[in-house]
Amino acid sequence: MEIKEVSFSYHRKKKLLEQLSLTIPQGCTTAIIGPNGSGKSTLLGVLAANYAPSSGTVILDGQDLSRYKTREVARKLAVVHQHNTAPGDLTVEKLASFGRLPHRALLVPEREADREALEWALECTDLQDKRQKPLAELSGGERQRVWLALALTQKTPILFLDEPTTYLDIFYQYEMLDLIQRLGQEHSLTVVMVLHDINQAIHYSDHLIAMKDGQVVLEGAPEEIITAESVKSIYGVDVVVRKEQETGLYIIPVKKKKIESSKLRQKKIDKI
Amino acid sequence: MRAAGTTKRSLWSFAAVFGLLAAALLWSVLSGSLQVNLPELLQGLVTGTNDNVAIIRDLRLPRVIVAMFSGAALAVSGVIGISSGAGFVSLTMVTIFPALFFWMPLFAFLGGAFACLLVFSLSWKSGLQPLRLILVGIAVNATFTGLGQSFNYRGSYAVTMVNMATTSVFNLKTWEDVRIIVLYGSIGLILALLVSPWCNVLVLQDKTARNLGMHVSRVRIAVSAVAVLLAATATAIGGLIAFVGLLVPHIARLLVGSDHKVLIPFSALAGALLILVADTLGRTLLAPVEIPASIIMTVIGGPFLIFLLRKGEVNHGD
Repeated sequence: MEIKEVSFSYHRKKKLLEQLSLTIPQGCTTAIIGPNGSGKSTLLGVLAANYAPSSGTVILDGQDLSRYKTREVARKLAVVHQHNTAPGDLTVEKLASFGRLPHRALLVPEREADREALEWALECTDLQDKRQKPLAELSGGERQRVWLALALTQKTPILFLDEPTTYLDIFYQYEMLDLIQRLGQEHSLTVVMVLHDINQAIHYSDHLIAMKDGQVVLEGAPEEIITAESVKSIYGVDVVVRKEQETGLYIIPVKKKKIESSKLRQKKIDKI
Repeated sequence: MRAAGTTKRSLWSFAAVFGLLAAALLWSVLSGSLQVNLPELLQGLVTGTNDNVAIIRDLRLPRVIVAMFSGAALAVSGVIGISSGAGFVSLTMVTIFPALFFWMPLFAFLGGAFACLLVFSLSWKSGLQPLRLILVGIAVNATFTGLGQSFNYRGSYAVTMVNMATTSVFNLKTWEDVRIIVLYGSIGLILALLVSPWCNVLVLQDKTARNLGMHVSRVRIAVSAVAVLLAATATAIGGLIAFVGLLVPHIARLLVGSDHKVLIPFSALAGALLILVADTLGRTLLAPVEIPASIIMTVIGGPFLIFLLRKGEVNHGD
């Protein structure tokens, strides 16, 4: 996917996205990071054809995204939204089966391909035993997996996730991210996800896009673009960037005063 | 509530509402100023020799059928603020062009569509919230009811006809009314069942529905049109009855769950039961004085709405 000089705004005065141009590498996992209100989710919305850009074009498989039919888009890309609502008595299986809607007419009975896709999605998300359970009985982590299953059932080559780890505790956060990573690798999906946690973005993406004030400020491999300076310039937070054998590259936020008074100051000062 | 438990409860709920509807039907047909028993009634209907039964067939049966279809249509329509708009336009037509009386369902439909549009556009604020929808619906309802009532003070010959369209006394219903409401009502109910898979996806968020390849606004307009057809048909023939479209779907959802394939038929039965009971109570409670079914429904519906608001259930669109 490619976007060319895309701008987007709700109001005339404030532009949420300004003249954005970038390429989403195919078959890789791309993470979008940036402070609140930087336009991360808006960018995802434009990529997913939920928002029509006010100017510029989004190219999907060589064709302008706006020229696709809604149903065709739904066969090419699936989206897991940040906040989802559904009736509590809806069962896992029923909700996940909605993912077949782009592939069949409304009143046409299920085909073999529909059942296979559903089985595959439930298997991937480890929900086979819970298929008859209503959503109200699931844990937060399970519920998020159901929404992922819904997207997987669409069987699209592209998968978008808007902050897939919010509302989850750390166990489910990593469970979810591991699952997304595994799926992406096994089925060579193009995954684009908005993440808040920079460390998670570093660990779970091949390609990183950093946004600020509606513009892309940095783009590239996580190891290359994450530095104390770049994080400071994007978020305005002082961090220490470390790399260890066991953990890979990671950042830790630090308070400025603390650093100054710290004995470690001299060791790190060059980095900050 | 487990899925298995839900289906079991659905079955029981269906059985219960079916049984109650059958009982209410018998009670309604057999009670009133003319008393007959069931064998007499059946015999009379078949042979046509019993004068009392003939009167019941001409006066009471149409009323019972109209009440049931109105209730079913209103419950399934479930979209508020529409019935009032339908009432206003139909009585505009009656007052200004009495000859168009026969076309009432059509004009009521247009009025309903207008009110629906008004309610939706006024409630739309980056998505629809049930609470806002209800409050705007009540406001639009009040406006249209006020406009409608101002016709009553014109003192023209049309007043009696106007009253027929604004209050829902089911008396003086003829087999012609039955023919219209059964025809339009059945079409509406069948269409409602056909769009039920759409409704199941529409209860998810708009963005989710769109990412599943659905044209959300087109589908919403189509579904609303069916709702308007149902409400308009019921209102044109049965008059204005508030709260059925709010009360029945809510209780039905608690009993049979949110799958529209089940919810729609159940709401139809429950709505038919509710209005039939309200109308029969209204004409037998203080006989020979009649309390209109609409008044009984308002008395039940008002407190119910307050109860829902207090519980906060209408805030998050379950």
